[in-house]
Amino acid sequence: MSYGLLLPELIIAASALIVLLDVFVKNSRGRFAGYVSIIAILVSLILVLKDGLVDPTPYFNDTIVVDSVSQIFNMIFLVVALLVVIAGVAYTEDKFHPEVFYSLLLFATLGMMIVAISNDLIPLFVGFELASLATYPMAAFERERRGIEASIKYFVIGGLSSAILLFGLSYIYGVTGTTNIPQIAETLSANIMKPASLLGLIFVVAGFGFKMALVPFHMWAIDVYDGAPHLISALLSSASKKMAFIAGFKVLIVGLIALRFDWYIGIALLAVITMTVGNVVAAIQQSVKRMLAYSSVAHAGYIAIAFVVISKSLEHAEIALAGGILHIFSHALMNGGAFILASIVAAGVIARAKPGEEDNLENYAGLGKVAPVSALLMAILMLSLGGVPPLFGFFSKAVIFLSAIKADLLWLAIIGVLNSALSLYYYARVVMYMYWKDPVLERVNEPLLYVLPVAIATVGVLLLGLYPPTYRWAFEAAHTLLQMGGVP
Amino acid sequence: MVPLEWFLILSAILFSIGAYGIMIERNGLKVLMCLEILLNSANINLAAFSRENLMGQEFALFSIAIAAAEVAVGLALLIMLFRYMDTIDLEKFDLLRW
Repeated sequence: MSYGLLLPELIIAASALIVLLDVFVKNSRGRFAGYVSIIAILVSLILVLKDGLVDPTPYFNDTIVVDSVSQIFNMIFLVVALLVVIAGVAYTEDKFHPEVFYSLLLFATLGMMIVAISNDLIPLFVGFELASLATYPMAAFERERRGIEASIKYFVIGGLSSAILLFGLSYIYGVTGTTNIPQIAETLSANIMKPASLLGLIFVVAGFGFKMALVPFHMWAIDVYDGAPHLISALLSSASKKMAFIAGFKVLIVGLIALRFDWYIGIALLAVITMTVGNVVAAIQQSVKRMLAYSSVAHAGYIAIAFVVISKSLEHAEIALAGGILHIFSHALMNGGAFILASIVAAGVIARAKPGEEDNLENYAGLGKVAPVSALLMAILMLSLGGVPPLFGFFSKAVIFLSAIKADLLWLAIIGVLNSALSLYYYARVVMYMYWKDPVLERVNEPLLYVLPVAIATVGVLLLGLYPPTYRWAFEAAHTLLQMGGVP
Repeated sequence: MVPLEWFLILSAILFSIGAYGIMIERNGLKVLMCLEILLNSANINLAAFSRENLMGQEFALFSIAIAAAEVAVGLALLIMLFRYMDTIDLEKFDLLRW
């Protein structure tokens, strides 16, 4: 048996330990660790892309399966990790023990990848916890009071959510007598066994709801994204949150597909409230970081529409799921890029002139003259987040809304489109501040290592929406995922 | 043999105690203990359900290891908090409010 398909995970695991050797490198200031992580992530990313959409290949007694779903999600996680690591080389230079940043980041990525390849509740939970445990201390990386507060809050809520999740999983195991996800689907479709399975379902939805930051479980996310350093917020909202979605896809859509009529109303409500609250509150924020945090909550609402469509009609499940995967991908790029960009502006531009109010939108005034490259990239990312064609954010959102219309959920699609229109207001406001207001600061140089990752994300946002294989990948992954749940 | 229901009732009680504690407790260490109680209530479930096969006990072993790792991270964070603020009273958090 060949373990070739698990090489990306193995490389990430090994490099997470190797970067700790940075302590012994003289005058490295995190450079060694940074370059090792960049190389490791690049190599794994190339391996994932080279294998592309593979047929389902089981490992370790069917507890782990590498298939098209895991490949596409591994790609998303690795891309986000790559963006954060490149920016991290510049960011960690003057920080205390920079190698810890890289090690934790790689462990978090590894945890997410394990969730993506797991086919059993045990590796799924272990990967989920690895990703969570590695990101708790990252929020406090700068060792200042806001970061520590954010970190403790994140730890308590994260611990609570994983305990709730485990409690729910224990009931699912109790009902079905197995931890293998396709077998759970099989057992439940033969005998639905209410109400014990419903109890498990509620706990699992609540556990994932916390991690996905769906309203009303979103309070922690805003504070954590706001209190943590920008790069960490980029990782949390672009990768860690997406991990909850793939875990949700696996447990809810594959494992508990037989209970889909029971989660229909619940998830529909969650999706509508999440979109609306996220967008309305984002529109009144003065801090760019908090605005991005609320906007990522709203986008989680859009992605949750996929769950609603699938529970309503299995006929259109494939297109809904593909839309969800596409939006997960596009949001990871846009949001990751935007947070890293906010970090450039905060650290490189504003902090020199006005320390203490790095994220205030007023300071973005005239950014088009102060930092032209950053402003241009930010404008593209903002328009894509708002869903302006022909950017990736528009197409991915369009696929989700289209699936809702096809499944006779016109009301849901209308609420989604209205929300999208509202969101355009606050995204466009950032663009307006950057280009139509007089600069409050001096022209500055933009560090290459910061701009490069954002440029990669922006190019992805510009091109991927017009690149047909993206859709083929998403539909193929959606098809595989539904087949695992026994849907024809 | 003890009936399954008894284990489920015990775990439900423990889960409620843990969830209640997290909501009302101010002391960081006690919150950490409540998290442990929550995880252990799920472990009791897993072990109790594991009558036909051993997967549940296996799962419980994994989750015990994870709980230990979680405590290590939590204690490290609390130590950092104590060094910085000279208290582990979570009510003192006031910078991040929505």
